[in-house]
Amino acid sequence: MSLKVENVSLVFGDGNEQVKALDNVSMDLQPGQLMAVLGPSGAGKSSLLAVCGGLLTPSNGKISVGEMEITSVSQSALTRIRQQQIGFVFQQSNLLSSVTAIDQLLLLVHMRGKRPDQADRERAAKLLGEVGMEHRLNRRPNELSGGERQRVGIARAFMMNPKLLLVDEPTSMLDHHRGKQIVELLVRECHEHNVATLMVTHDHGILDAADRVVDIRDGKFSERTQ
Amino acid sequence: MFIASRDLKFAKGRFLLMGSVVALVAFLVITLSGLSAGLVKANISALMALPATHIAFEGTDHPGYRNTMIERYMWEGWAEQDGVKAMEPLGHTVFNARTEDDKPLELALWGLVDDSFIAPPLNRGDNYGGEVENGVIISRGMLEEGVDIGDLILLDRVLTELRVVGVTDEHRAIGHLPIVYAPLRKWQEATYGPPGGAPPGEKLPDIIFDFVSIIVLQLEEGVDTAALDDELETTTLDRLNFYSASIGYESEVQSVQMIQSLLFVISAVVIGAFFSIWTIQRTKEIGLIKALGASNTYVLKDALGQALTVIVVGTLIGLLGTLWFNEQVKDTELPFMLESKTIITSIVMLLVAGFFGAAMSIRRVSKVDPIIALGRDQ
Repeated sequence: MSLKVENVSLVFGDGNEQVKALDNVSMDLQPGQLMAVLGPSGAGKSSLLAVCGGLLTPSNGKISVGEMEITSVSQSALTRIRQQQIGFVFQQSNLLSSVTAIDQLLLLVHMRGKRPDQADRERAAKLLGEVGMEHRLNRRPNELSGGERQRVGIARAFMMNPKLLLVDEPTSMLDHHRGKQIVELLVRECHEHNVATLMVTHDHGILDAADRVVDIRDGKFSERTQ
Repeated sequence: MFIASRDLKFAKGRFLLMGSVVALVAFLVITLSGLSAGLVKANISALMALPATHIAFEGTDHPGYRNTMIERYMWEGWAEQDGVKAMEPLGHTVFNARTEDDKPLELALWGLVDDSFIAPPLNRGDNYGGEVENGVIISRGMLEEGVDIGDLILLDRVLTELRVVGVTDEHRAIGHLPIVYAPLRKWQEATYGPPGGAPPGEKLPDIIFDFVSIIVLQLEEGVDTAALDDELETTTLDRLNFYSASIGYESEVQSVQMIQSLLFVISAVVIGAFFSIWTIQRTKEIGLIKALGASNTYVLKDALGQALTVIVVGTLIGLLGTLWFNEQVKDTELPFMLESKTIITSIVMLLVAGFFGAAMSIRRVSKVDPIIALGRDQ
């Protein structure tokens, strides 16, 4: 199991101001499986990603990534888990403005306390090649199109061989054609690298590519049968 | 400094601007330190050159060179004490004077005993006491005022005539006034005698030769100066404190030190403000790096390394500017003295102030919540 979510609730505020972003949610995800979570704005999609990525602590319930239960560990342990076991693909790609495409990937190696060597460079170049960016290795984000930036973001997510990939609205800033290409790329990479992928989206047009689809509304799950 | 080094290359203009500000502040701080040291030297160079451990003044709570009168029994009393390696009475009076061509001068006349152990080495000319009557030695800086060997100096008010016979090896001054070295008796005549000297056919009263201004002392360690001061009605100051007894010395040093301190504060604030804005601009990226698994330590080290690079490079450029300035002014009258101690102290203070300012601003990176990478507010 790559991701196991058990009876997780996430509550903001208190008293009459209380908002339940997640309401007793449970699910699990196998390696190589891509689950799309569909819902309108405010349904709890980003909250789900945040608790699964250790960016927020749920009010109740347990979450495990691989063998590690992340809801009962310290902040520094969570930082290590994010570094070693979780890959993120964000909306708008979220690349560092001063860093070239290849260095966006090598940064993750450096963050683990290792000076990137030739093998790391080759792996980063290979991953960027897999997403069709082999000719743009030394370009900075301001020299790349929106789709290209998203591709770099995807390559970066796979750099440290994560067990779990969390994808936040990958097509929101792209037109339909480019969005479809990006999702196909994500699915291919997720299957090729055998990584469990949780993708939140409100784009119905990309659901065909997912292995499983879950609707989320008012913080509650309902899984569709494919 | 994986990200920091790339930021420095990417945002060259911004960091160049900041580096220039640091360089200018460093230039100002080091130059001001050089001016401060130069002013100090100009004020007390004659005192600094004295081979003395202490100076005894007339007994008072506020000893100074212009308001002290030592009587013979005092210096003779000091001469008899154990632990006194060398002792000498010295006369000090400030005079307005004129050259033969009526050029006004302001000088400090020092009266020294014969074979004085504090007599300055000469650059050229002879010591007084030779064939020339009323011979004196002038401080080297007086050459720039057009006074030279053979010239006559007429002291205003007392109308004493002095003839220049020698020039000291280096400029010697007290309270920014050049020293003119004269035999002690000549100094006593000029200071305590009537204008124009003794009336024709008369001699000056002996009592005027029983007074000087201070006693220059070379003491062994452990001499109880307080007890001797009580006994001999003197006030004895050690080296550091006899500098401060020079008029204006403390206030000059304090003024320059205050300006220097303000510059250190300004540098800390300016550098802090820059890195504060820079950190705010980078908040989203810092959140992203943390979401990707960077620890607070990693982010802090990266940002502080960047700040340190800007501060160190800027300071070194400022130092090079000051060294260049030093070359331009070293043979001029500007009181400027650059010593390695001055440079090192200024640089260390500037680095500490700048790094403190940057660290105060940068510490907020540890408070950035990685959740903002998902587009949420903190």
